[in-house]
Amino acid sequence: MTSRGTAAVALEEVEVTFGAVRALAGVSRVVERGERVAVIGASGAGKSTLFDVLTRAVPLRRGRVLVEGQDIMALGSRELRAARRRIGVIYQAYGLVPQLSVGMNVALGEVADLSGTATLRMFARGPGPATSARIVAALERVGLSDRVADRVDNLSGGQQQRVAVARLLLQSPSLILADEPLSAVDPVTGRRVLGALLELAAEQDATLLVNLHDVALARSFPRVVALVGGQVAFDGPPADLSAEVLTEIYAGEPLDPVPAEAADREPSPLGRPGLPLLTHDREGYGLRAR
Amino acid sequence: MAFAPAEPPVRRIPPALPRPRTPVGSLVLLVAIGATGLSVYGTEFDLVELVAGAGPIERFVLQMFPPDLSMITLRKTGQGVVETFQMSLLGAVIGGVLALPLAAIGTADAPTLGASRIVRLVGAAPYHLARLVLNVFRSIPDILWALVFVVALGLGPFPGTLALAVHSAGVLGKLFSETLETVPQRPVEALRAIGASRLQRLMFGRLPQAAGSCLSLTMYQWECNIRSAAILGFVGAGGIGQEILIAMNLFDYPRVATLTGATILAVLLVDRLSAAGRRRFAAA
Repeated sequence: MTSRGTAAVALEEVEVTFGAVRALAGVSRVVERGERVAVIGASGAGKSTLFDVLTRAVPLRRGRVLVEGQDIMALGSRELRAARRRIGVIYQAYGLVPQLSVGMNVALGEVADLSGTATLRMFARGPGPATSARIVAALERVGLSDRVADRVDNLSGGQQQRVAVARLLLQSPSLILADEPLSAVDPVTGRRVLGALLELAAEQDATLLVNLHDVALARSFPRVVALVGGQVAFDGPPADLSAEVLTEIYAGEPLDPVPAEAADREPSPLGRPGLPLLTHDREGYGLRAR
Repeated sequence: MAFAPAEPPVRRIPPALPRPRTPVGSLVLLVAIGATGLSVYGTEFDLVELVAGAGPIERFVLQMFPPDLSMITLRKTGQGVVETFQMSLLGAVIGGVLALPLAAIGTADAPTLGASRIVRLVGAAPYHLARLVLNVFRSIPDILWALVFVVALGLGPFPGTLALAVHSAGVLGKLFSETLETVPQRPVEALRAIGASRLQRLMFGRLPQAAGSCLSLTMYQWECNIRSAAILGFVGAGGIGQEILIAMNLFDYPRVATLTGATILAVLLVDRLSAAGRRRFAAA
């Protein structure tokens, strides 16, 4: 990876504990600007906690977290908001406010820019004409501009996920954290969402970190980081992700994911989600190797 | 058992009746039973006396029938019911409006990480102050508030309405803040992660999710208010209670019957309206 000065994300001996549980047990990693990294690991391995420390949602027991060169835990409230303004998030589900309209939810991508009076105005009257135009443009890119005035809870899960992507489009963050964005949607929508995230990251030259359960999908990323018990067990190109490493990562999981060799075989008759589509459409992502 | 000792004992299957599951639970139950028994003794609770009092109750009730349905009584009754209705409604509305900002301040949001202890203490002060104000409003019964306001403002429905408003604000404030705190957290967390301030998280994340419940709670408070409003008149704070007190002091029991009947009808009406409204809003 070419170094471009300040790294997008730098973790130094980061330790996070919840009571007796060590969610992150001494993690040190650097992610450069513009990288696309897939984070894999069993449930409870620390994937979500990793994202939580980047947005300062949890306290650190030890270590430092630098986002774009700034120590995120040392920032004052105004600087913190400015830093978070540049971090975009998308979750598995429920990241939008169900009772608000699609357009309003997208508008909240810029919430950190609003002053007190602007907040009240936005609350009472909604986004202004210029902002609304940009919101509709963002929704058009995900194919939902006709639903701009609908309440979010009238949309399907897949559509809601696309609205979340539109919110990211409006926000134009420099760091995108996607926490299992595909786990709750059908494979077709999942491909659209992932494709949109990759396109968005490419446009903004943003850094993209994606938590994934689907190892086959993770293989389409140039860099894979695997967490086991709060520590990094693997960090490198997916070609190096051997069956032994995978067994170590997912030891104890009821359903072992398919190892590297099997990914090139014919899709299993069970039709595992994501896998058949990937083997046939690997070129379709248009991923640029770095 | 008549079988050979080698047969293992059959374990009793626990019934459906709720019972204590730990020794501490059993102890608590014993203490509760003991306290209840003591209360029976302390309040001079006597079922025999109740049965013996059936005779006078019967005579009292008979004196109320037939109820006074003269034009003048009906007019007074109608005015009383309308006034009671208006007091209860206004009390709930003002209470809700007053409760919202207090509840907003009194809503616990995740603690500021990385801030020093002093900053955190100072930051928590408005929260505790708001909660204190709401507790005071809530803990003093509305009839006591009514007394206070009657002393300050004289007789009539205005002090009564104020009393209901203040008490409602206290009750609703606590319920609103609990609702705001327990809305689904993920949308709020998402807003925090992308830089929303506490006020923005409240307005865009918590309030829309809590609005339906808050409206529901306000309607329920209206129901509670009409029952209170009916008796605030006993201390001169307006409503039909005033008429009931006067009629009782004059031993005009047929009149009391009419007034009480009208009160019951008014309460039932508000109960119905409130339930219909709440059905519509609670799901939102």
